[in-house]
Order: sequence, then C-alpha cells, then structure tokens
Amino acid sequence: MTGRRVAVTGGPAAGARWDRRTLLRAAAATAVTLAGGCGRTGPSIQVAVVWGGGELTNFRRVVAGFGDVRVVTAGNDIDAFLRARQLAGTSPDVAILPRPGLVVEYARRGWLREVTPSSGYAPPVGMADLLSTGGRRYGVWVKAAHKSLFWHLPSRLPEPPRSWDELVQLTRRLGGLARRGAGPAPLAVGAADGWVLTDWFENVLADVTGPGFYAALARGEADWRSPQVRAALDRLAELWSVAGAFPGGGRRALLTQFEDSVIDVVHRRRAVMVFEADFVADTAREFAAGEAARTFRFPGARRADRPLIVGGDAAVVFAGSERGAELVRWLSDGAVFGPWLDAGGYLSPDVSVPLDSYRDAVRRDLAADLRAAEAVRFDLSDQLPGPFTGSDGVGIWRIMQDFFADVTGGVAAGEAVRRATGQLAAAARSAGGGR
Amino acid sequence: MTRILGEPAVLDDVGPPRRGRAYPAAGATTALLVPAALLLGGLLAWPVLRTLHASVTTDGRWVGAAHFRTALAAPGTGAVVARTLLWALVVPAVVTVLGYLLAAASRRSQEGGLVRLILVVPIAVPLVVTGVTFRLLYEPDPQRGLVTMVAARLTGRSLAEAPQLLGPRLVTVALMSAFVWAWVGLAVLVFRAALDAVPPSLTDAVRAFGGNRRDVLWDAQWRPLLLRTAAVVFALVAVGTSRTFDLILVMAPGSVRDEAAVLAVRVWQTSNGVTTGEGAALGVVWLLAVLAGVLLAALFVRQAWPPPPRQASAAPGPANPPPRRVVRLLAATAALAWLVPLGVLVATSLHTPVDAATRAWWSAPPSLASYAELLGGDELWRTLVVTLVLTLVVTAGVLVVALLAAYPLAWLTGPPAQATGLMLMAACVVPVQVIAGPVNEVLGVALSSGTTRGLALVHLALGVPFAVLVLRNAFADLPAEQVRAARVGGRHWWGTLRLLARHNRPAVIAVAVLEFVQVWNDLVVGLLFSGPGVVPLGLFLAGQTRGFAANSGELAAGSVIAAVLPVLLVVLARRHLVAGLVAGGVR
Repeated sequence: MTGRRVAVTGGPAAGARWDRRTLLRAAAATAVTLAGGCGRTGPSIQVAVVWGGGELTNFRRVVAGFGDVRVVTAGNDIDAFLRARQLAGTSPDVAILPRPGLVVEYARRGWLREVTPSSGYAPPVGMADLLSTGGRRYGVWVKAAHKSLFWHLPSRLPEPPRSWDELVQLTRRLGGLARRGAGPAPLAVGAADGWVLTDWFENVLADVTGPGFYAALARGEADWRSPQVRAALDRLAELWSVAGAFPGGGRRALLTQFEDSVIDVVHRRRAVMVFEADFVADTAREFAAGEAARTFRFPGARRADRPLIVGGDAAVVFAGSERGAELVRWLSDGAVFGPWLDAGGYLSPDVSVPLDSYRDAVRRDLAADLRAAEAVRFDLSDQLPGPFTGSDGVGIWRIMQDFFADVTGGVAAGEAVRRATGQLAAAARSAGGGR
Repeated sequence: MTRILGEPAVLDDVGPPRRGRAYPAAGATTALLVPAALLLGGLLAWPVLRTLHASVTTDGRWVGAAHFRTALAAPGTGAVVARTLLWALVVPAVVTVLGYLLAAASRRSQEGGLVRLILVVPIAVPLVVTGVTFRLLYEPDPQRGLVTMVAARLTGRSLAEAPQLLGPRLVTVALMSAFVWAWVGLAVLVFRAALDAVPPSLTDAVRAFGGNRRDVLWDAQWRPLLLRTAAVVFALVAVGTSRTFDLILVMAPGSVRDEAAVLAVRVWQTSNGVTTGEGAALGVVWLLAVLAGVLLAALFVRQAWPPPPRQASAAPGPANPPPRRVVRLLAATAALAWLVPLGVLVATSLHTPVDAATRAWWSAPPSLASYAELLGGDELWRTLVVTLVLTLVVTAGVLVVALLAAYPLAWLTGPPAQATGLMLMAACVVPVQVIAGPVNEVLGVALSSGTTRGLALVHLALGVPFAVLVLRNAFADLPAEQVRAARVGGRHWWGTLRLLARHNRPAVIAVAVLEFVQVWNDLVVGLLFSGPGVVPLGLFLAGQTRGFAANSGELAAGSVIAAVLPVLLVVLARRHLVAGLVAGGVR
C-alpha cells in the first residue's frame, strides 16, 4: 500500500531549489530524449520505483552509495508501466514493487531473475516467503509499513482503548455526544479510498482468525463465505453502524479521502481517532496544529500475541541484468538505508537494524513492534490475484465500500454481511482463486 | 476536445463536390502521402484491426461472441452503457440550446463581445483543470464547498444532511455540469458564425410581408440555416462526450467511480494498456457507436456549412436592433455564472497549502505560498519543460506531415475525395483507450514503447487526421487562379506547397493552435503511453488528485499555471480559429 500514496506525498521535494541551470539541463535532456530516443547509455543501472517527492529523494540518496544508478518514477500504476516496457523489450534492470502478488506473477511469467540476498538480510517471519515461488526467491524487501495503528491527539484522548470492546464502547459514548453537538465524532475514516477500508478489515480478520486461515484466504484456498470472514465483517458492522461515529455521517465519510480524514483529527479536530499506517505521520506533521499526534495499536480481542498487519515494497531484478542483481543484493542489507533512516519516514523490513538508528521515538516503537510481534501478517488485499486486489471502483476496494455504505446507511448487519461475502466470493472466483 | 472544433468544416465532405476541387489535374506527388499513411496505418488502422481481431479470439483461437457476452454480462455493464448513452443525448441537447440562446443574446450589444470572451475561455482550459475546478466547487464539506453549503440552505436541511453533488446519486449531474461549462463556448462560436451568415435581406423580406419577431426567427433564421447548425453542434458535442474520461478520473472520488463510469472508463479498467479479449469487445462496441454517430451526423448535414458570409453583411443595418434588455441581462448573468468556477479555482490557489486544505476559500487570508511551494520544487518545472518540448515537437510534426499529405489529397475530386474525407473523419474520432493495447505492441516493435518518443508518435498519429482534413479542405477551396499562379511561381512541388500554405494562413494557424492546445491539455495519452520519469502536465495534475483535499492549494495553483498558456493562445487566435476552420469562407 505504500506505493499507492505516491502522488499523495508527491509534492515538491523540500529544499530543492530551482535555478536556471536545472531548467536548461532538463530542457537539454528532454530534447536529447525526444530527438535521439533513449538508448541505454553507459553502465548506469536503471531502477523503476513508485515513489515520488521526499521518498524518491531519500531513495536516490541511498543508492548513491552503490554507484551509478538512475532512479525513474513509474507513477502509481507501475504494473502497467512494466508490462509495456516488457513488451517493448526495454525493461529496467531493477524495479521496486509495492505488492508481493506482482513479484510472484512476474516470476511465473519468466520476467525475473532469481536473487540471492546478502548474509545480513533478516525480514520478519511472515514476510520472507511471500517473494518466492517454486522454491526460488525472486525479490527482497526494502521497505516496510506498519498498518495496525490508530492516531490521536493525547489532549483529546488521554486513555486509548486497549481492546475491541473498549473501542466500541468509547465510540458509542463519543458518538452520542457528537450527535448532540457536544463534542467531536469518535472516528475519522477516509472511505473514499478503498484501501483504507481493506486495511480495517485485515486488522479485524487477523484478530478473529488464526494465521492459517488468513494465509489460505490470501492464497485463494479458503472460502470467503466462511464463518471467520463473517465474524470479522460482523465486528466491523458493530463499530461502523454506531450513530454519530463519523464526522458528517457515513455518506460524507465515503467522499472523504485518506489525508482528509487525518486532517479531521490533527487539524480541524472534528474527530478523535483515525486508523491507518505509519505513513499517517507525514500528513499529521504537515497539518499539525500545535500538538503532535500519538499512536496506539489496533485494539483486538486478544491482549497477548496481537497480530500485526504490515505492508512493504520489494526489489526485483529483471532477467539478464547482472549488475541489477548486484544492486538488489546490496539493497537487501538494511544497513545501507542509513541516509533514509537519518532523514526519517522510513521503516526497515530488516529486523537486524539497531533500534538506535531510528531518530524519532514513534518510529523506534514501530520498529520494535515489527520484531516483537508474534504474528506478522502481510496486507491481504496486496496478495490477492488480478483485479480482486482492488483499485478505485474495482475488486475488494469496491466491495468494502459497498459494505461500509450498507452498514452506515441503515441496512441490517446480517444482510450487509451476506451481500459482502457473496460479492467477495464471486470476485475471488472470477479472479481465478478461491472457491 | 479541440480536435472536434473543426468538424463543421469537415462534415460537409460527404456532400456534393465543392467549387475549388476542379483543378487542372496536377502532377501531385503521391509519395508525399507516405509519412501520414505510415503513421495512420501503423498507429490507428492496424491497432483497430488488431482490436477487432482480439475481440473474437483468445490466443489466436476463434471464440465467436464469447468475449462480448462476458463483457456485457459483467455486473454494471448495462448501467455503464446506459450512462454513456445518457451523456450522448442529454449533454448535447443542453449545450445546443444554451449555445443558441447565448449566441443570440450576446449579438449586437456592447457587452456581447465580453460575454462571448468569457464563454470561450473554458474551451481552452484543460479538461483536467475543469475537473479540479468543479471538484473544488462541489467539495462535500459544507464548510468549504460553496455549492454544498448553498444546497443545504436551499433544501432547508442541516449542513450534515446537505445533498452531495459528488455523492453516488448526483455525481453524473455534477460531471455533466462541468462538461457543459467547458463546451458551451464552442456552441456559441459556431452559432454566432451561423447567425452572422444569415443574410439580412431575408429578414427584411419577412418583415416586408408583415412578419413579426417570431416569424423572422422561424422563416429567416431557423429554417434556412439554424436547424442544420443545431444538428451539427448536437453531433459535435455528442461525439465529444466520449472525452468525459479525463473529467471522471479527476472529479469522481474513488467510492463513486462506478456510479460515474462510462464506457471509456470501463474499457480502460478492463484492458489497462494491454490487449485483452473483454476490453477489446467493449472497445469494439464503443467504436461502432461513435462511428455510427459520426456517419449519421455526416449524412444529416449534406451541404456545405455554413456558407461563406457576404462582405456586404458585415455592417448591421438599422433593421437589426440589439436584443431586448431582458435577453441581454440573461447573457450577462450567464457570463457571471461562468466566471464563478474560475473564481473558486483562483481563490483556492491564493491560499497557503494548509489553509486551502482546511478552511473555506472565502474565509482564509490570501497568500502566494501555494505557488511558492510549487514553483520552488523542480517537479513542476520538469513537467512544464517536458510538456512544452513535447507539444512543440508534435505540433511541428503534425503540421509538416499534414501539409505534405494535404497537398496531393486536395487534387482529388468526386467520390475519392468523399471517401478520403470519410476515412479521415473516422480516424479523428477513434477513442485512444480502445486501441491502447495494440498501439503499445506496435510501439514495442518500433522500440519506443514507454518512452517520450513513443508518446510523441502517438500524439502525432492522433493529430494528423484532423490536420489533414482541415488543410486539404482549405487547399481545395483556393480559387483556381491562385493555384495556377502558385504553380507558375514555384517551380517545384515544395515551392507550390509553400505558396499554397501562405495563401491559407488562417487554416495553418488554426491547425497549429488546436494541435498545440490538444497536446498541452492531454491526459489520456500521457496516462496510457508516458515513459519513465516523463510526466506530462495533465498526468502530473491528475496524479495529485489522489489526495485532493490535502493537496488542493498546490493543485489549484498548478491548474492555474497549466491553463494560462492554452487560454491565451485560444483567446488571441480565436478569430483565426473560426476563419481557418470554416474553410473557404474567408477569401
């Protein structure tokens, strides 16, 4: 999911000043490209990434330590970009992919080269084997995202809820106040972005089921109409259907984008809590109004061995690129990401990176979570096949939005859950997995 | 959008052969057609055939109508087709009626010129920017969205219960309103040209026989000329609605994407830049519908349109009084209403990024911080330079290829002329989403898929048919003496071509300006074919809409910057545009 917010954080790189020389150089480069085409010149390695803005700048700083590397942004839809390049026979040497599903898909088509990580490579259990198919490894994790977090302002919520039941009670109490106009709504949610809702669903699902079922769903071997899925949706319905839960109601929440929901909490203070991943920090910092936002873990039914949902970006090498393989091997060692760790906004998938390397306390806690969690589960929707994985108006994004609209619009929970599981099962079938 | 602008000049080609065509059969060099033929054959004709093929096969195996059945049976496809039809019927009707009313109301009054100028500006604004503008206007939060707040007041509901224009029920209405805003100016221009072409003697004659105002309208204006003009405008806009793609991508929040989707979006979602059976099947359905629409329009308009205005009619006599005050007031009100969205856009851009995202544009103190933030980074600059270079290269390329091809084509007469006219017209309206997969394959063979070169090639291929049509018609309409003089003056074919081009300056300028604006304003070609690290302007802005509210300050500032150049060009060249496109009518 980290890849999907490229454009979001894609503002101009901070501190990069423009001068006439930059412009002239850009003009010259463009003219050359247009006139002569882009023949691959020299020994520089080309890396396609989904990042933009500050993330891109930081990644360039990292690879500068390796040597002559050209990093290009493929935009949000790196899949379409790489497919076109593959057709044209002009694939980059290395690509950083936002979804493990893509790594496996490309590997099965024979586009990728097997990779050997360096000896220091140590991803959390539960992430390592997602990049392998047929017993061979085709990618290494280079960036992780912690996706089991609630964000809040300590002055508005001194005592965060520690279990799901406490969260529901808190939501009911604050929702009642909000309906009388006596306080902010309890929850902000950017339901216009389908991935926010799938992240909600994954956290609840991981809490109500064991790791086996979660993994089976991801592989397309479990039934989406089974009781575990229904239990997870029931829980979501229980919380989301609380009257006054969202500022402006469910209808408005469906038109609210992810950043807007963060702003509702940290700046406008119309809501008390917002759920999402560690990258909320970027928006929270930009729109902070006097008080820094804090986090608490997504509350579940269990107190011990709480599951942790993670996302991540993986580096792959395209077939035939010797130097690309060297670069990926080099990137697999978490220590080389020093410049990005120093700059902040980076969570290493390498659990052997010392916690002291993180500059701010919040990130240090998140990194500690990543290695302490008993059960690290990778983002489910990112592992689903074909269009089921979701995008605007498509796949599981759309299904979760329909479900959200149903439960906030007064449809009975049982009926809403029945509709959603039916749609999920149908989508899984037509995407070629599931039953 | 702008490619459509000239179709009035083009639609008459199925009619009887025109006056200029009967040149002495000249030694036109067929070889000059080669560049245009290669481009159109490789990047339009072949991809269309490949799409047809893919729609009935799987991995080369014949599967009959299976893909069509799957695609049409997919949930929601019926609604998408119905919505596409609704667009093609409702929007043109509204634009035609509004266009006529405003053209008539703004005639022969002092403020009329200003009114028309205001209405013309949205034509040149990139559709992406139009989308940004209306999304700001319809912002769901009633404390920041003007329309949502007004709607809450009007319906007497609380702010939280306000009707949401971007919500699932009304999103199509919201999109249509933005489209009408952008296109009415075009209808006004065309109707104005038609009204000016109505001979005043006809009005005098009707008056002389005791006709009243209504009789004048009916017998001297509507029946002889305006009926056909209305049909042309309707057809143009109906074909133009296939370009709502940009608008939907930018304006519709993710959760209502399905409720807003038309065929263009569905085809893009199912194929996404590669050739798939289902995507191809939907594409073929859409392609056939568009072609049928164009053919119908072409057959309906069987005569040259509009006729060349007579020099004598330039000065309006006392017989033509200015419109009534109520009517003039209507025009002025419309102009003011048309300024509101632009006002919202500019006002939003004049706030700090944080204020723009969190406060209403009418309540926060103005600031240039959003512009400073945007212009301080190098991303926008890189995008602007890339877009400018790309646009200039493509415009020059289109002009060269089209001039070369127009020269031999202009000598054709009779059925061959009509056949080439029809083929070029069909090439003008092929939706690029339909052929994206095969085009990528062709570009792959030419080793330029996903590169700037590939992007430029696709733009060239899409721009050439329209340019050839306009220039060919302009050349063919030159009086025979001028052609003969040119042929004597220039010894070689290029000398003749140069002289011909000089005689047709308005047409050349019109083609150049429209091509420039077309490429500059593009989103869909950039989206489907842009290369590594190359982000054209439309794509840059559309990418930022992912975090619309949080980015609205910089997005609005970027939109204003993106719109300045095309608006200036079109406003400055608008006389040339009308003159050049209504080919043959100015000499």
